[in-house]
Amino acid sequence: MKKRFGLLLAIIVALFMTVVPLNAQHAQAADNSLAEIQKKGTLVMGTSPDYPPYEFQATVNGKSTVVGMDIQIGKKVAKDLGVKLKVKSMSFDSLLVALQTGKIDMIISGMNPTPARRKNVAFTHVYYQGGYSIVVNKTDKAKYKDKDSFKGGTLAAQTGTTQYNAIKKQTSGTKTKGMTSQSDLILALQSHKVDGVAMEKPSAQAYVSNNKSLASIPSHFNMSSSATSSAIAFRKGSTSLVNEVNKTVDQIKKQNLVKKQYLPAAGKYLKTNSVDTSMPHYWKAFATGVEYTLIITVCSVFFGFIIGILLALARMAKGNPLKTALRWLATAYVEFIRGTPMMVQVMFVYFGLGLFVNLPALTSGIIAISLNSGAYVAEYIRGGINSVNIGQTEAARSLGMSNGATMRYVILPQALKNIWPSLGNEFITLIKDSSIVSIIGVTELIYQSNIVRSDTYRGVAPIVVIMVLYFIMTFTASRILNYFERRMQHD
Amino acid sequence: MTKPVIEVESLAKSFGDNHVLKDITEKVEPGQVIVVIGPSGGGKSTFLRCLNLLETPTSGKVAFEGQDLTTLDTKSVNSLREKMGMVFQGFNLFPNMTVLENIKLAPMKVKNVDDASATKTAHELLQRVGLEDHADAFPSSLSGGQAQRVAIARALAMNPEVMLFDEPTSALDPEMVGEVLNVMQELAKDGMTMVVVTHEMGFAKSVADRIWFMADGYIQEDSTPDEFFSNPQTERAKDFLSKILI
Repeated sequence: MKKRFGLLLAIIVALFMTVVPLNAQHAQAADNSLAEIQKKGTLVMGTSPDYPPYEFQATVNGKSTVVGMDIQIGKKVAKDLGVKLKVKSMSFDSLLVALQTGKIDMIISGMNPTPARRKNVAFTHVYYQGGYSIVVNKTDKAKYKDKDSFKGGTLAAQTGTTQYNAIKKQTSGTKTKGMTSQSDLILALQSHKVDGVAMEKPSAQAYVSNNKSLASIPSHFNMSSSATSSAIAFRKGSTSLVNEVNKTVDQIKKQNLVKKQYLPAAGKYLKTNSVDTSMPHYWKAFATGVEYTLIITVCSVFFGFIIGILLALARMAKGNPLKTALRWLATAYVEFIRGTPMMVQVMFVYFGLGLFVNLPALTSGIIAISLNSGAYVAEYIRGGINSVNIGQTEAARSLGMSNGATMRYVILPQALKNIWPSLGNEFITLIKDSSIVSIIGVTELIYQSNIVRSDTYRGVAPIVVIMVLYFIMTFTASRILNYFERRMQHD
Repeated sequence: MTKPVIEVESLAKSFGDNHVLKDITEKVEPGQVIVVIGPSGGGKSTFLRCLNLLETPTSGKVAFEGQDLTTLDTKSVNSLREKMGMVFQGFNLFPNMTVLENIKLAPMKVKNVDDASATKTAHELLQRVGLEDHADAFPSSLSGGQAQRVAIARALAMNPEVMLFDEPTSALDPEMVGEVLNVMQELAKDGMTMVVVTHEMGFAKSVADRIWFMADGYIQEDSTPDEFFSNPQTERAKDFLSKILI
């Protein structure tokens, strides 16, 4: 089962648990979890749709939709509770934090109920018992029997998963290679960078049946049953909700719905998916990606610029102690933002602020990137202001203009001209860096390309498409910026 | 007796251990043209910049129309600066604006004059300094002499009561000095109160009402041009004149 426990996630969970233990306490104090969901009328399910046949993206009636056996289970759970199901996609790493911070109500994402996870969330009964296979190139099938046949070679798996740890612990003389996405792993296999990819049986079957050059062999990993089982996760302490959902899970198991109905249904989508895997077929997905990338970039540049000006002015404030404090704060902010990864900032805004206000992923992404960009822009602007001759300030002040008016009408326009190339650079960097918000599930270009890749089982083509799309965007942007730069040339 | 426009009392200014102005007490009467001369590094420019508080005096008093600037808040200083136009050695025109925009900016943003009348005033001023056909030029296309005349027009646009000139011709090519001095002379003739720091002795002789000879942080002599140039009192002044009037 998937068991990615990224270091990042662990840190963030630890941070939230220590800083703001409100949620857990609150949930434990009064267990009206079931009543709350029924009152709300919707059940928000979090999942990471890159794991066929558990959950993956498919084009249904021309629309990209999350499908798979976990979705069927989610639908059944919601139906039995008498509420509507809402599916929220995000990366697997983000699911636990999202549950704990109330972004979602439950996780169904092939998650296995390990003791470590049980400390933080409440699991239902197991709804599916799986196992592992190793996918190899068909031409090599004769060479390999199981996990022990790869001595001197490389076995790969998704980083942090149970099977990844199993390769490390249960093989000897075999190199372990980890990657984040399943489709990258298959690509590595096909280009012979690795010799085999360990994954869950249903996933392996899906890949093999959709790609004629691949074959599957048994893994023979020595696994406890809890490590190969899937269960639904709820917030800790929601006993009434878990008990109610257990009834549904028990029914699913009793009637063997997963094998009889859900897996075949998911397989059907896999087949329809593989009908047309040409890139133009997915133009809508890419168009959405471009749209969101542009929205994020333009908004972040706008707000980042405003934040940058304010920060730059604050960093240059001098005089009374209040201004000194302001300068100190602004300097600390700039140093801190420049000294931490944007990825962590994005996660912090989405999950951290999410404890107090429920911000949508897109808004969180824009806020985080604006705050980040503001710190860099502030430094450009400060440099730009310093580059304007002091005589300009003196001339304006001698005409009776206030400090603010001097800054606004005389200094900033000239500073802006001086730093225009740097600002343009920042804009273009943001077009590319906006891809970071894909980790919180914003459907920008990278996210969309990952979906297309797991959708089509094609590794390279979507990458080429988005490379071209990114280049078109950045090139157009730099042309536009050059045009304005020329317009500003008076001297 | 009329009230002095500017009164300076025991003015001192230090930059760290460098005591540029030591103890200056002087006053400027309305309509007077004061020319400040003296050796370089004697504190002339610093003195001028203390008059409109571009430099904050270390001690002493600078009063404009009876109000001590050193005790006023920033806002009142801003509004008093409107009444004291200043012309710099390096012109300091705003390079991102046309000549016309340079002149219109302060009246529109500080005095809230509407665009039409600011434009009208600007054109009149440009005519006065002989540059009406350069209204839409950018500063980078002007010669030094033209730029300095625009700078004078820009200062005049605020309708000041005093004009401060900080070596207005020092950065100019020799053949352009005349056109700027002519404009200044016209101004003086129209009754403008002026304090001029310059090395143009001809201008000092023919236009000044008083010469202030400044050296070593003091005003050493305060006299009429005739007295000063024909009969300097201090050794310092004699030495200075002997060096420049060969």
